[in-house]
Amino acid sequence: MSPADLLVIRAVRQAGPWLAALAATALLGAAAELLLPLALGRTLDALVAGGPGSGRWLTVSALLVVLVAACDATGVLASGVSGARSALWLRRRVVAHTLAVGTAMTRHAAPGEIVTRAGVNVEEAGRTPEAVVTAAALVVPSAGSVVALALIDPWLAATLVAGLLLIVGVLRAFVRRTTAASGGYQQAQGEIAARLVGALAGARTITAAGVEEQEARRVLAPLPRLRAHGLDLWRLQARAGVQAAVVVPLLETAVLAVGGLRLSAGGLTVGELLAAARYVVLGAGLGSAVGYAARLARARSAAARIERLLSVPPPSYGSRPLPPGPGRLDLRGVTVRAEDGATLLRDVDLVVPGGACVAVVGRSGSGKSSLAAVAGRLVDPERGTVLLDGVPLPEIGRRELRRAVGYAFERPALFGETLGDAVAFGQPVHDARRTFEAARAACADPFVRRLRLGYFTPVADAPMSGGEAQRIGLARAFAQAERLLILDDAMSSLDTATERQVARALTGSLGDRTRLVVAHRVATAARADLVVWLEDGRVRATGRHEALWEDAGYRAVFQEPPPPEEDPAQENAAREDRAREDTARENRAREDTAREHTPRHDEARDDRARRDAGAGAALTGAGEAGTP
Amino acid sequence: MSAVVPPAVRAAVRRALLREPRRLARLAGWSLAEAAPAFAGGHAVARAVDDGFAAGRPLTGLAWLAVLGGAWAVAAVGARRVLLEIAGIVEPFRDDLVEGVVAGALRAGRGGDAAAVARMNHQVELARDSFGAVVTVVRSFAFTLVSVALGIATLSPAVLPLVLPPVLAGLGLFLASLPALARRQRAFIVADERTTAAVAAMAGGLRDVTACGGETRVAQSVGREVARQARAARSLAAVTATRTLSLAVGGLLPVLLLLAGAPWLLDRGLTAGVVLGALTYVTQSLTPALGGLIQGLGVSGVRLVVTLERVLGAAGPPVRHGETAPDGVRLELQGVTFAYGPAAEPVIDGLDLVVPEGDHLAVVGPSGIGKSTLAALVAGLLRPSAGAVLVGGVPAAEVRPDARALIPQEAYVFHGTLRDNLTHLAPGAPSGAVEEAVALFGLDGLARRCGGLDADVDPAGLSTGERQLVALARTYLSPARLTVLDEATCHLDPAAEARAEAAFAARGGTLVVIAHRISSALRARRVLVMDGARVLAGTHEEMTEASPLYADLVGHWESRDLGRVS
Repeated sequence: MSPADLLVIRAVRQAGPWLAALAATALLGAAAELLLPLALGRTLDALVAGGPGSGRWLTVSALLVVLVAACDATGVLASGVSGARSALWLRRRVVAHTLAVGTAMTRHAAPGEIVTRAGVNVEEAGRTPEAVVTAAALVVPSAGSVVALALIDPWLAATLVAGLLLIVGVLRAFVRRTTAASGGYQQAQGEIAARLVGALAGARTITAAGVEEQEARRVLAPLPRLRAHGLDLWRLQARAGVQAAVVVPLLETAVLAVGGLRLSAGGLTVGELLAAARYVVLGAGLGSAVGYAARLARARSAAARIERLLSVPPPSYGSRPLPPGPGRLDLRGVTVRAEDGATLLRDVDLVVPGGACVAVVGRSGSGKSSLAAVAGRLVDPERGTVLLDGVPLPEIGRRELRRAVGYAFERPALFGETLGDAVAFGQPVHDARRTFEAARAACADPFVRRLRLGYFTPVADAPMSGGEAQRIGLARAFAQAERLLILDDAMSSLDTATERQVARALTGSLGDRTRLVVAHRVATAARADLVVWLEDGRVRATGRHEALWEDAGYRAVFQEPPPPEEDPAQENAAREDRAREDTARENRAREDTAREHTPRHDEARDDRARRDAGAGAALTGAGEAGTP
Repeated sequence: MSAVVPPAVRAAVRRALLREPRRLARLAGWSLAEAAPAFAGGHAVARAVDDGFAAGRPLTGLAWLAVLGGAWAVAAVGARRVLLEIAGIVEPFRDDLVEGVVAGALRAGRGGDAAAVARMNHQVELARDSFGAVVTVVRSFAFTLVSVALGIATLSPAVLPLVLPPVLAGLGLFLASLPALARRQRAFIVADERTTAAVAAMAGGLRDVTACGGETRVAQSVGREVARQARAARSLAAVTATRTLSLAVGGLLPVLLLLAGAPWLLDRGLTAGVVLGALTYVTQSLTPALGGLIQGLGVSGVRLVVTLERVLGAAGPPVRHGETAPDGVRLELQGVTFAYGPAAEPVIDGLDLVVPEGDHLAVVGPSGIGKSTLAALVAGLLRPSAGAVLVGGVPAAEVRPDARALIPQEAYVFHGTLRDNLTHLAPGAPSGAVEEAVALFGLDGLARRCGGLDADVDPAGLSTGERQLVALARTYLSPARLTVLDEATCHLDPAAEARAEAAFAARGGTLVVIAHRISSALRARRVLVMDGARVLAGTHEEMTEASPLYADLVGHWESRDLGRVS
């Protein structure tokens, strides 16, 4: 049995007694449904004959009706509850496991994929009990009614089977054609979305010029095409859907005709004719049963995808306490590789003295971000060890490690309800004084105070520029790090005046901590106690900035244009693509079909995930670091 | 139900339905055809048995069944036309929604978030599907109910009291449970969305969660949403279960009543065929229509209301534009104070400033100090909390948009030709003027690369500097006499920046430059320095004397510049 099947079984078990209730009601209901036409037919016959049995059959029919209704209602409740329980259990596992794996997860799944796993996929896998039971409950009366028909009269069964084949054929043709037509529809839709995102990126220009209406017309240009494709879809649906809807009544009429002839011949009673008509309708339900079987297949493939996520091993943490120390960092023979095998850092040996401010410089792709990531255990090196105050990082407990090391990033993701929470997020216990001090040191305090609710402004309501978000991220790291502060290009969007102010805080109130600063600016390197110059994943040189400045190759590092990620045009293009993709994804979810993404699509997402993670930023230009 | 449907939603639905009254009439006509079996079905079966098969005349029986088959064929044609008519109602409805979303987002003038746009798209699609479903089922049930009632009345009016009351009771039961169902369904949709948002935030920020050691806290906050969603799903299942009971009452009870009442009916001379016909009416037409209504209204109806509410309420209030043509472009700020909320510290506090017509002012200060806020106040996009911003004596917010121009840092270039992009604010500008602007801002190279002014440009293929040049040239061509450059040249090299600022200074009108580089201040006639504590204005020399921040910035810039040269 595959791990995915085991996962499905464990998820299904979470439903507990509801699962039994679901199975019982489904089977009981199916049996009652199968018997009901028979009882109704007998009742009618007994009534026509005027015999004494009519009362008894009527009672049986009434009981069966009550049973069908009760089972139906209980079944709906049981399937809803058991689905909710299974989904709850699965979703909790996905969330817990994703968090346990942490940064490393982004190497295996893009954020969007994680959302899909915890969303649509969990929902699909959680519906397994319902799918199994409903499929069974549909098969019983459907198959049973064919048998029942055959028992009443074999000709009736033959009529039904011939008709059923017809329905299945029509439905299959429909599914094939819809898929083709909905592609054009989604494309037009994605285009409007992409145009809108593009226009919204220029919202300030558009508003200032008062040309909103003109822009709206431009964005909406593909709308007629959307409507044309939409009408095509309706036409298809009208053709196939209506055909399918009429097939069952026609089937019923055909069975009535065959049954009527048998009635004339004396081989059938009126009651049996009534029963036959009901069995036709039940028998036609076999088509839906096939649909439920497809749902089961979907649940399994969803579970397989969830299982792939759950099989990513989480990093283990030790329990050694950190001895008192100044925050000395040792890297010994550290090699880091990307998922695709590219070497990001090779055999790096480095000692950062406790309390020192060290600048890490190098061209893009030289391994700066990888060094930052490995120094505070966002990534484990493939070979070599990293020690903080003499203790290898994997031996330190998680809380202990995170209290000691704080990170600030180029694009921080902020957590917490309010901006105050966002700044305090890195502290195990929130300390208001520490939070405000950190915010002041990061120059976040003045702009936060000017927001509508100051520190109580919800993060979602605070539209922040790149520089403002960076300042909140810096404040968060300042409030968190007790020994080692790692800034991974975390001041790139600050203007000169603000950067100078933060730099002063770094050497002043934060001067007692070890600081590892990845930077592009000359000024940052010039202020550091020590500069580590990386090239091609190796340490090219270490020393004071003034000494290194003699080297033309070192000076060339600072003349490089900013990395392409900072280019708003590119970013906007990416955003437009994302709008197209997101629209397509929402549509896929809406259609409730789980098709595999094309490999190209996944690659693009993976790339973005790596870039988002920051740890792999060095990947982008691994080849361009030439020798001076 | 009407109590749970907000007026805006009701109005939108009504508008969509009544857009083309003639289409509605056609829809009714085809619906009648679709309801043919609901009217003729039971009758045909009854006659087929009584006059045909049971009377030993199988051909008559077959003929009656052929009538039934014909009714279904008519129904098939009708159903197809019905669907197309409904498409003709639903598609324009969807177009309206898309137009509303696009225009609303643009009018509200907020920044773009791809995910939010995609979500809105999704909501529109849900609304479209639900609207189609609701129109289909409600109409189908109404026509079926009436047709069946008429059919039974022609077959034997005595049967009616046995069929109609339980159907109406089932319908009533369902309608009574609808508000509770709507509430829970809505709660479920909201819980589902909140969970997705929480998981998305978590997945997008895993690096930060790990780095901050925030696993437990995030697990708790996401876990709360997950648990809430599961609770909502369970309580939704509970009401959905009661919904199936109303179907049992409306769909199965008439069958039992017919059979229980059969002796009485037979006593009154009705035949077995009539009872069979009545049963056909109930099982073949009425029960499916009732089931469709219950399923359709219970799921799609609620979804329609929830999504429409979202779509219609998504856009913020539109930015209002003024219509007054100012008398000149002298800029005057009188005691201007601005704060983003009553509890917030003011960004600008009691600022007095006069920029005479034709003057060139540079604004200098650290980021986040309120320079862009000042630019927005001057452009009339924000209104001061106190004091007045006057352009040519007219409050800035009442000035016509084409009298002033604001170019933000993020230059806007759209998919279209270069000429369209340049004449965006000056439609029909003469070719000569466009070429002059192209030359003036050094866009010739770009134009050649794109394949001429009338070839399409791909914004993503332009560098940030080129995009800023396009935005500058566009504004240069516009009729605006008050120009505010809000770090609009930050991606240009110093020479191109100097050329752009000189072009605007020579163009006439009033120029306000929010400086990205201190060199912008050196070119201006006057400098405004915002350092957080106070706001000072004067010439470069005066400011070097009066403002330590300014002196520091100038000194820092000079030393940095020297550093670069070395």
